[in-house]
Amino acid sequence: MHGVIFANSYKFYVLQRRSTNLKIIIVGAGEVGYHIASRLAFESKKVVIIDNDPDAVTKVAENLDVQVILASGSSPRVLSDAGIREAEILLAVTDSDEVNLVACLTANLLSPTTRKLARIRGAGFDDFHEVFKTEAPYIDTVINPEIEVVKSIQRLMRVPGAVDVGEFAEGRVNFVGIRLDRHSPMSGVRLLDFSAVFGEARPLIAAVVRNDELIVPRGEDILRPGDLVYFISEKKRLADTVKLFSSREYPLKRVIIVGGGRIGKRLADALEHESINTKIIELNLERCNVLSEKMNKTVVLHGDGSDQKLLLEENVGDTDVVVTLTHDEEKNILISLLAKNLGAKSTITKVSKFSYFPLITAIGLEKMVSPRLSATSSILQEIRKGKILSAVAVLGEDAEVIEAVALATSRITGRPLKKLSFPKGALLVCIIRDDEIIIPDGDSVVVPDDRIILFAQRHAVKRLEKLLTVKLEFF
Amino acid sequence: MRWSYVANIIGILLVFLGLSMAFPLACSLVYQDVSLKALIESMAVTVAMGMVLFFGSKRPGIDYISPREGMAIVALGWTAMGLAGALPFYFDGAFPHFTDAFFESVSGFTTTGSSVVTNIEGLSRSLLFWRSFIQWLGGMGIIVLSIAILPFLGVGGMQLFKAEVPSPVPDKLTPRLSDSAKILWYVYILISVAEVILLFAGGMDLYDAICHTFTTMPTGGFSTKNTSMAHYDSAYLDYVVLVFMVIAGINFSLHYQLIRGRTLIFWRDSECRFFLGLCLVLSIVITLNVHGTVYDTFGKAFQYSSFQVVSIVTTTGFATADYQSWPGLSQAILFVCMFIGPSAGSTGGGMKCARIMVCFKYCYRELFVLVHPKGIAQVKLNSAVVPDSVLRSIMGFLALYMGIFIVCSLGLAALGMDMVSSFGAVATCIGNIGPGFGTVGPVDNFAHVPALGKWLLIWCMLLGRLEIYTVIVLFVPEFWKK
Repeated sequence: MHGVIFANSYKFYVLQRRSTNLKIIIVGAGEVGYHIASRLAFESKKVVIIDNDPDAVTKVAENLDVQVILASGSSPRVLSDAGIREAEILLAVTDSDEVNLVACLTANLLSPTTRKLARIRGAGFDDFHEVFKTEAPYIDTVINPEIEVVKSIQRLMRVPGAVDVGEFAEGRVNFVGIRLDRHSPMSGVRLLDFSAVFGEARPLIAAVVRNDELIVPRGEDILRPGDLVYFISEKKRLADTVKLFSSREYPLKRVIIVGGGRIGKRLADALEHESINTKIIELNLERCNVLSEKMNKTVVLHGDGSDQKLLLEENVGDTDVVVTLTHDEEKNILISLLAKNLGAKSTITKVSKFSYFPLITAIGLEKMVSPRLSATSSILQEIRKGKILSAVAVLGEDAEVIEAVALATSRITGRPLKKLSFPKGALLVCIIRDDEIIIPDGDSVVVPDDRIILFAQRHAVKRLEKLLTVKLEFF
Repeated sequence: MRWSYVANIIGILLVFLGLSMAFPLACSLVYQDVSLKALIESMAVTVAMGMVLFFGSKRPGIDYISPREGMAIVALGWTAMGLAGALPFYFDGAFPHFTDAFFESVSGFTTTGSSVVTNIEGLSRSLLFWRSFIQWLGGMGIIVLSIAILPFLGVGGMQLFKAEVPSPVPDKLTPRLSDSAKILWYVYILISVAEVILLFAGGMDLYDAICHTFTTMPTGGFSTKNTSMAHYDSAYLDYVVLVFMVIAGINFSLHYQLIRGRTLIFWRDSECRFFLGLCLVLSIVITLNVHGTVYDTFGKAFQYSSFQVVSIVTTTGFATADYQSWPGLSQAILFVCMFIGPSAGSTGGGMKCARIMVCFKYCYRELFVLVHPKGIAQVKLNSAVVPDSVLRSIMGFLALYMGIFIVCSLGLAALGMDMVSSFGAVATCIGNIGPGFGTVGPVDNFAHVPALGKWLLIWCMLLGRLEIYTVIVLFVPEFWKK
């Protein structure tokens, strides 16, 4: 008996060590590398960053609690020195696809057991994305954040008024953030009374942002106009639910994209397939030629997106969505404002700096996308793979929505939710059992193999992860 | 400009042509007809001329042919072919004037199919065979054939190839030019064999089946019968010929790709789609137009109108009906068809679908820029951008084509022909079709055209076959400056 307990606690100890001392090597200290590193360091993981740009390395060394190496990440010498053999994961996220691929190849030769993730963005890889993701022998997966950004822009377009839209369970369940309209029937209603008042279409509210503060609401709480409400909804009920938030509705027919970079082109491609009337405004003439070469129906315009005359000429007032995707985020914000002022029904703005998010909301631009956030989301999802199916960062990384499979061995299964000690700031929002989607209450029980969707504030992620996995290792 | 080099290659081509006269010679022996002597004489003269040119000229190191030399070789080479091809007709005595023999020969090589012979069935079988055979040779191009057979032409051959097959969308099928040329000829021969078998199966005798295949595949249009395809009055034969005319009107590199296993290629290629769609739509319109007025049943109406539309659009020029007795709309449509032509890279003439499509897309782009002053648009064909240089060349081509059509029509009218006949004759000759309108319609021939008019039309046929630039450039003073 004694021995058994000893053995168990020993294993527990090993697990503890592994989950906190997980070693991750990141090649490339650019925007994405920096943010992933900061995120992982926050979760007490051991992070090594390799980059050959002294400025980038200095910035990381000064701000983050990680190890830095100033060298080329594709060199075997460097990788070996960085300790690739003990590393669980190698993330290759430099700006060069080729360096990323070579870094993975090199790492594979040194340490075949390390999981290797490469970011690849080149357009030539588009058609072969799946092949590289699954077939390349020395890469475990490839990530293209631009594909994710385009997907999230499309989701934002499809749900009117939505500020944030995520998908779970192969798209059957949506996670949506919408600003509550003054005229919405929901304002002033207690959450407890929701099912009585709104019936089937009622949203399951996961979180509310009020005055830039994140609240996980209780039954007694009342929604107020101006709240940013995050909720979970089945896809087929989404349209009805969204109607409760605001009366404005429009079909998506005309789109103007400002900035014909990689994301702009991808988006235009996708819209072309849906037969949506699309125009791209691009400043660089050469890029315009490339775009018009590749596009079939999209109208390519050479000019400055901030040129009011051009916007009027192209009838911005009748446009359903203006998407601003130039490299200059301040300019994106201004163009979105201008477009809104000229009558565009909605705008989507590409912004990378998290510090801008509250400001943008304050000046009335609701919908934003951030390539950095998308990249972080998809990389986090890969890092947590195994027990977690997908993870979406929301609210500028303050929180995450996590989709996971409930394992028979994890503590979350087999008992009513009210008897579980859920970490503070975390909420189980949805249970998917086969085809059934259950909105849980205190008496609900998670059974093994259920898929569950959880909402967690940043500080609760670590403990939530443990809740989902701990018992697994005992058997 | 190295003239000796030009003469040298033309010499080779003539020897080639002379040797190919062995085929009608064999035909003459089989059928024991009267043209044996004429054929032997022609063969001797042609081979001798070729030898003189070949050995009389010094051969510079064959490493490079300048574009200018390439155009001279092709334009003069084709003229020489026409002259040599006329010899059997002339020596035989069936053609009173050399002009007539030359007209018939050039009409053959350029795959036009306009004839000056009133009683075709009165010619000897070997001469009729020769008449069909030169169309088959001219269809895929004599130069292309030489490049395929003579490896030493392969090196500098691209200039010749471009001058003879001046497709608006250049495509080289394989890395080596001589391989590309061989592939084109293999495909050509393969489809020809298929047609002979199908025609033979439909009740034509072997001789006629071969002769008609020789004139269908190059979209030529010579027949061995006075009344052309109408002689057989068989729906089966009409549809077989129709199908092969359509095949001949499609870009041959697509056939090659089809053989290589790309089954949907005809649908994927926008020019081919345009060509097939055009044939179908116009056939239906004319069917509706002639049904009730000329033909009683839809079946008959469709059989004759689709055959005639395909025959004219592919620039073949076979006739199963006298379209001059059809309503005005049908005639007008057929006249317009004379200018369109089939796909680029086929054996047909005319302006070619690709050029027409590019022209309309270019116009659309101009309108687009009017609506969106800051808009950037490109002219695309098969989702590939048409470069500006090609655009300019196509616009120039269309302008020259129409210009030459107008000037030559006026010339014919000045020689005393009526208006409809002048326009019809020039349109049909420059488009390499065959029958025209007015006094040169499908049941008439070109015998009554004044001699000078015949020379003008010969020139038009060569212009059309070599797609204008290669020939007309010889008339530009700049070309002759050292």
